[in-house]
Amino acid sequence: MIVSTLRAIYGWRWSVLPPVAGVAVMAMVLGALLVAPREVVEGDVQRLLYIHFSSILAAYGAFAIVFLASVVVLWRRDLRWDAVARGAATVGVLFTGLTLATGAIWGKPIWGVYWTWDARLTSTLILFLIYAAYLLARSMADELDEQAARFAAVFAIIGALDIPLIMMSVRWWRTLHPQPIVLRGAERPALPPEMLIVMIVAFIGVGALAVWLGVLRTETEWLAKRTAALRAAADRREGA
Amino acid sequence: MNAGLAVVAKDLRLAWRDRAGWASAGAFATIAVLTYSFAFDLATGDIRPLLPGVLWTTFLFASIFAGGQSFARESEEGTFDALLLAPVPATVIYLGKATANVIAMLVIEFAQLLLATILFDTNLLSPELLVIVFIGTVGAVALTTLLSTMSASMRGRAMLLPVMALPLLIPLLIGAVRATGASLDLESGTAPWTLLLGVFALWSALLSVLLFPMAVER
Repeated sequence: MIVSTLRAIYGWRWSVLPPVAGVAVMAMVLGALLVAPREVVEGDVQRLLYIHFSSILAAYGAFAIVFLASVVVLWRRDLRWDAVARGAATVGVLFTGLTLATGAIWGKPIWGVYWTWDARLTSTLILFLIYAAYLLARSMADELDEQAARFAAVFAIIGALDIPLIMMSVRWWRTLHPQPIVLRGAERPALPPEMLIVMIVAFIGVGALAVWLGVLRTETEWLAKRTAALRAAADRREGA
Repeated sequence: MNAGLAVVAKDLRLAWRDRAGWASAGAFATIAVLTYSFAFDLATGDIRPLLPGVLWTTFLFASIFAGGQSFARESEEGTFDALLLAPVPATVIYLGKATANVIAMLVIEFAQLLLATILFDTNLLSPELLVIVFIGTVGAVALTTLLSTMSASMRGRAMLLPVMALPLLIPLLIGAVRATGASLDLESGTAPWTLLLGVFALWSALLSVLLFPMAVER
């Protein structure tokens, strides 16, 4: 029952995801630029909030999928989950990069610098590095190398379990130190309704885009594996 | 237990026979410490505040370098497969390898501490600091041993290993540098750095022991 429902939902991926992602992302851009009011303190640059925040949520979601898929790779030894993990990791790295980039653009006028070794910035950067290393390591081996898939899965699991330690250590490292630029600790006023609506649209748009890209990447990955398998089989037949 | 000791003995014997490999890790560490001191000497008159960072970046790079070597040989000669065929649990093989690597790294690190004590006129051989170095080494080597097994069969391993290991080791680096700084009476904040180091060492050892059998299963 659940499986067939999931299959049916998955069957809609081409008809549903691209239009939803396209429309919602356009709506987010228009909403952020036109509908949402200008933030009083930070000015227009604050309009980056919508893409910045929804990107990091998409990245966290993608990394959670990498972790789960990696556990399944070790458990079931099914290379399809390796493709899922790789697809999700690509999306996660992409959106973490987007978060870092929009954050830097936002930081310059507000904090006066593109980058500061604040705890949250630092741990996001480390997250980016870990999953970039994962992708690099996985791409160094053949698609069909089951051993390499398992190595990558082990690395992804270690990376995911390292995140709490990284966050804790980086927080101790930074907050016990005088900060050159004081991040505005004061609580942000609750978002006005227009901003909230744009934010929700941004969640939908970026979320759908991330899922779509993840699915695309996963299926590409899986097709690459099948091609490699077919090619290997053809080579064997020629050799025989 | 005996099997574990046999693996430790075998790896230490290998390390001894393959002195050149480990000696080059040691030479690398020495050169790194010297290079840092030349490079920073111009920037700052007092190099002492930089000492914890110099020591730990050197230790981490040396352990990655040496760890990568210890498996490269096994995979080149195909002896690792033979080792896995032995009727002992993979965990024991891992523990044996990691122990041998920890021992070899501690020798290298002790030599560096001695060298730095002379070069920087700072006593780096206090019991407190030796304990910190020991805990940090266990934490780092546990992880690099696992990662080097995994990357041994991959292309571009030499580049890959630091790229994979260093981001994971950042909590250890932060904890070790700060704890070392505290033991040298440098300003290092009030967080329980040694505890962080201990937690990380325990975490990486447990995780590696659990994951190693799954990673190497054929």
